[in-house]
Amino acid sequence: MMKDRRTIIYTVIVVALLFAPLYLNRYWVDVLNSVGLYAILGLSLNIILGYGGMFHMGHAAFYAVGAYTTAIISTRYGVPVLWLMPLSGFLAALFALIVARPIIHLRGDYLLIVTIGMVEIVRIALINDVFGITGGANGIFGIPRPEIFGYKIRLPHQFYYLIFAFAAVTVYLFRRLENSRFGRALTYLREDEVAAEGSGINTARYKLMAFVLGAFWAGMVGTIFASKMTIVSPASFSFWESVVMFMVVILGGAGAIPGVILGSFLVVGLPELFRGFANTRMLIFGAAMVLMMIFRTQGILPPRPREYPIEDEPEPASESEVSS
Amino acid sequence: MKKILLLTLAFCFLAAGAAFGADTVKIGLMGPMTGPWASEGQEMKQVLDLLAGDINEAGGLNGMQVEIIAEDDAGDPRQASLAATRLTTMDIVAVIGTYGSSITEATQNIYDESSIIQVANGSTAIRLTEKGLEYFFRTCPRDDEQGKVAAQTIKDLGFKKVAILHDNTSYAKGLAGETQGLLKNEGGMDIVFFEALTPGERDYNTILTKMKAVKPDCVFFTGYYPEAGLLLRQKNEMGWDVPFIGGDATNHPDLVKIAGKDSAQGFYFVSAPLPRDLDTPEAKSFVSDFQSQYGNAPQSIYAVLAGDGFRVVAEAIRQTKSTDKDKLADYLHEELTDFSGLTGAISFNEKGDRVGKVYRVYQVDENGDFILQP
Amino acid sequence: MELFFQQLTNGLAVGGIYALIALGYTMVYGVLKLINFAHGDLFTIGAYLGLTLLTSMSLTDRLGPTFGVLMLAVMVMMLVGLVGILLDQAAYKPLRTSPRLSAVVSALGASIFFQNTIMLIYGARFHVYPQDILPNVVINLFGMPVPLVRILILLTSVVMMVALYAFIQKTKVGTAIRAAAEDQGAARLMGIDVNGVIMIVFFIGPALGGAAGLMVGLYYGQVNFTMGWIYGLKAFTAAILGGIGNIPGAMVGGILLGVIEALGAAYISIAWKDAIAFLVLILILIVRPTGLLGERVAEKV
Repeated sequence: MMKDRRTIIYTVIVVALLFAPLYLNRYWVDVLNSVGLYAILGLSLNIILGYGGMFHMGHAAFYAVGAYTTAIISTRYGVPVLWLMPLSGFLAALFALIVARPIIHLRGDYLLIVTIGMVEIVRIALINDVFGITGGANGIFGIPRPEIFGYKIRLPHQFYYLIFAFAAVTVYLFRRLENSRFGRALTYLREDEVAAEGSGINTARYKLMAFVLGAFWAGMVGTIFASKMTIVSPASFSFWESVVMFMVVILGGAGAIPGVILGSFLVVGLPELFRGFANTRMLIFGAAMVLMMIFRTQGILPPRPREYPIEDEPEPASESEVSS
Repeated sequence: MKKILLLTLAFCFLAAGAAFGADTVKIGLMGPMTGPWASEGQEMKQVLDLLAGDINEAGGLNGMQVEIIAEDDAGDPRQASLAATRLTTMDIVAVIGTYGSSITEATQNIYDESSIIQVANGSTAIRLTEKGLEYFFRTCPRDDEQGKVAAQTIKDLGFKKVAILHDNTSYAKGLAGETQGLLKNEGGMDIVFFEALTPGERDYNTILTKMKAVKPDCVFFTGYYPEAGLLLRQKNEMGWDVPFIGGDATNHPDLVKIAGKDSAQGFYFVSAPLPRDLDTPEAKSFVSDFQSQYGNAPQSIYAVLAGDGFRVVAEAIRQTKSTDKDKLADYLHEELTDFSGLTGAISFNEKGDRVGKVYRVYQVDENGDFILQP
Repeated sequence: MELFFQQLTNGLAVGGIYALIALGYTMVYGVLKLINFAHGDLFTIGAYLGLTLLTSMSLTDRLGPTFGVLMLAVMVMMLVGLVGILLDQAAYKPLRTSPRLSAVVSALGASIFFQNTIMLIYGARFHVYPQDILPNVVINLFGMPVPLVRILILLTSVVMMVALYAFIQKTKVGTAIRAAAEDQGAARLMGIDVNGVIMIVFFIGPALGGAAGLMVGLYYGQVNFTMGWIYGLKAFTAAILGGIGNIPGAMVGGILLGVIEALGAAYISIAWKDAIAFLVLILILIVRPTGLLGERVAEKV
């Protein structure tokens, strides 16, 4: 019964979102675009942070590698942007493989600062025009807009469907991943690394794979971002960007796909809803973050405990833990 | 589950409510109202509110009231692009702003695709007007213009060994590069130091120590006033009396407050003239109005340049008796000549750049006042 | 060589401040295993409160510079300490039993809140301390001119750190703090008021951060509402470098970070200074995964 209700609600939401450009103006569609991009970024970070439980606060570095790959190759060699998605993802993944290898054995908070360091080093390298190809502080401009079968994607509602489609594919694939051997191994590893190791899971390898996969996806989002903004500059990939992604995952409920998507609505959408408050909007946003965390300590929509269809599911576990 | 549904619906409802007004001319303002450059953005809003209020009191533009719609870009490209998209849905004729060059760049296409006139007030990067955008203008001059004046000033003052320090922002690096290029072409000039500091820090002794070791005749700092003030203060503290020259981002009274009068004395900077140094009646009355409204004189030259952006747009609407974007753009490109702005005469060339010599040289005197150099 | 020592003193002065702020991170982390990302903003609050108290009460005029500044420091530390306790009660206490990262997000929210509160109260413009409070004396140290204030800053930091260390090691309360850091449950069973300990920790850490804010204000003169973010991040780096949760580690980490930055800027590149510092940090952590003085937690194998 619960399951039916959930299906109905999700269907309503998906349909509402599908037709959003019909009843929302350009600005709100663009806000949804931002929400969508961060939802996908959040989902990619969720593999590392949510399933794998690794404190990673430098996801913007992978995102930046993808965006810059797209920017550099499309402006220099005129390659159509969407063709560059796999390449951007691949280079971001390669970068992750190289930098994550020596650091994945670090414990929680030490990993946190190292990933912060990584994203800062990337930003400083970009700003200092490393290898003479990143354009320094100016960044790279004139990135072409994506084209699908000769149809040019330019306006917010056109991007909306591109992002929506990509998000749908992401959700589908990541759901499969969640229930795959890989996903289960990662979750096991997060819950109890020793036991996981004991059960024959190669923890280092799985952790590294999580990083590589998360980076691959973030790199692909970088492509969409670059072609949407038509300019990339180091300002877009600051440490704060990583913090935003981090908040998207944790606030929504680490490890849960619906939670992360909702997190993106809250973290990216709320400041826009608060625009009416002018100078106080970020103050209200900060307070709202604290309040949401206090009242939903596990995140707004934490992952449901794995259920087996024997009887009616009890109320979600988090409810009872809040009161304790 | 219900909660998500409610949240989503609430979001959609809130989103759908966009109102339309009649009989008003809406002018957008996009500026950094929060974030590190919030003081600039907030003053831009003060200036525009004041000027729009004046127009409305005098009966409006062609009988229509002027409404300023301010949006926060937070000094961040992504938020700026959202702010810009939001403004395009508000039925505005023109938008004033914004401050940083890379922030402006992130929004140029959005306004252009909606045929909205954009008048940037602080974005001096050269390439912004090299794209052939029909509706883009700026009241601030370009970095190459400023670079010329800076290089000339350094030469006129007789300095040979020059240290150039920037802060790795788009603007400061551009200006530093321009000036470096011009000075290199001059015979007998030697650039002995060219590096970038990290803005937002407090202690620049390391950089000063390093610079001092190469013994430059003068230091040209192209960054912003908070860092310039600290550099001057720490330079004085370490007993180094090299002359400092700054770009127009150092033109801010807080420079002297941060550095202290002792340390700031003798500091040169190039900048558009301050309103009080212009003898036009517009500039004079603007400064006194601002003073009586907000209790202090305008602090940031960029805020005043935003005011000029607003005034040229208002002038175009008044003269063409229309809010048609193409007519306005044509007027600004071709007919507006030597409009009496708050920062001097304003005309635009076909690229939308402000023409004419805008930059002057200032020096800080022993009382901490900015004195216009002849 | 003189240049080297000159840069070394530059680094030490910066590092002293980092160390003082790092103590706040490390103390809170030691007991709660919580990274208090709002700590940098408590530092900013210290700087602003110092400015307000200084200008509104003209302490230095009434009590003379030495006593005036001391009095000011005590008041700022008290107030920022109280803000710290309030922060804990409001934003962290409800999250004691929830996943650790929830508290991190709450801390980030609190940081945004504080930063914007300061902006709304004081305005977005830079604020400037009166300039004539500290003596502008340059003394000769081994033939090298060093401003006296710089030495005082380093000295003050060291004195505060030694005092804190003595407090933690020698007093009864300090022992309770150590016990709570070791094992909260066991400490509670031994009759230690763990909640009280947490309150003390949330008083001392922010108070030291506030003192650092006051020092930065007095020495560098210029304060603004975003200053805490950079200092906070640097201090967090310092705390990790030394081994988070370890008080001498915070001192060593802070000073070392300041020196690495100064020497990196002096001999390699100013623009790459922060990247160099982070690179050194990463290399150190690869070799010593729990920082320089961090306890060796055996990898659970």
